[in-house]
Amino acid sequence: MKHPHAFFRFIFLLALLLVPAIHAAELTQNRDPESGLLAWKKVDRGFSLELIQLLPEYVAALYSSRNLPPAVVDSMRGYCVFGSVVQNQSGGTLDYRVADWRVVTPDGKQHRLKTKPEWVAEWKTLGSDFGWSILPATASFDTGDWAQGFTTVKLPPGSHFDLLYAWRHHGKRYRGKMENLVCAPDKPPLAP
Amino acid sequence: MLLSLGIALCLASNVQAALPLPEMSHSFTSLKPAKPASDFTLPDLDGKPVKLSDYRGKVVLVNFWATWCPPCRREMPSMERLSQRLKGQPFVILAVNQQEEADQVFAFTGQLEPAPTFPILFDRNSTVSHAWNVLGLPASFIVDKQGRVAYRAMGGREFDHPEIEQTIRALLK
Repeated sequence: MKHPHAFFRFIFLLALLLVPAIHAAELTQNRDPESGLLAWKKVDRGFSLELIQLLPEYVAALYSSRNLPPAVVDSMRGYCVFGSVVQNQSGGTLDYRVADWRVVTPDGKQHRLKTKPEWVAEWKTLGSDFGWSILPATASFDTGDWAQGFTTVKLPPGSHFDLLYAWRHHGKRYRGKMENLVCAPDKPPLAP
Repeated sequence: MLLSLGIALCLASNVQAALPLPEMSHSFTSLKPAKPASDFTLPDLDGKPVKLSDYRGKVVLVNFWATWCPPCRREMPSMERLSQRLKGQPFVILAVNQQEEADQVFAFTGQLEPAPTFPILFDRNSTVSHAWNVLGLPASFIVDKQGRVAYRAMGGREFDHPEIEQTIRALLK
């Protein structure tokens, strides 16, 4: 090659151009072969968010098995519940606030997620506190840290929506979007 | 109704088993400056009170957990392996269970291999976890010989990973 430096400079510039494409995180969807339930995961600029469909019956069974008052079990009915895993893969500190996140349904309406402190306040009036089951409402994560718990939004089973979420990394605010998510159906999709 | 609940519980276990939880991390975050650990006294499995400050002069791994929490279940055998590796050293693990009863804990620890030999304590009202500003389970803290919280970790860890063992051995010196 006549101008090897120019070639490498070209490759370097091409790599720089490709960096945003690499950051354009991809939403992956998986279906559990046994239950037929869906899960979605997106890793975007070091913030990993995973949502797993949970059947209303599963949620009710989990709370019932903790010997919680029936009113607490009933309080979850009418909510679309996901098992959620948040992980810091950024190599630095990041934080999030569930109160900043919104669910957008096909009619364009935005819906707040019900946060852990809101559930805890409600359950205290019902004589219980099982707040550990809900995803922490806020967290400041260091590399390798992760959290899990339920995220909840008042929508019927099978509802379709997009999730708009946000996080901060080194003081800078980032926004992410998970599209075409679906609340778990009322009954198992692959019922025995 | 009972059949329905049974099916739901089966689904629950299936879903839990199917949850693609992240790989266990093996890093702790250093807290600088290390702050004095909030003292606590909690009952162990025999009801005997255990006080954190009684372990001054030892390195203490304080782990907040519950039996229903999948990563807590996954990490506990590695805590026991770590405990065995550091046997004879001034090192203690205190596993602080959240809002559960002894029979629930027995049912879980009875299945573990290796079974935990370190104290399991009961924080039935989560008073201690709130004082330690624990936001989610599991959460772990390493308290140094001077009684200061030197490291913290949120989420499950592979405790017998060389990196974590090295962190603790450095505090033992």
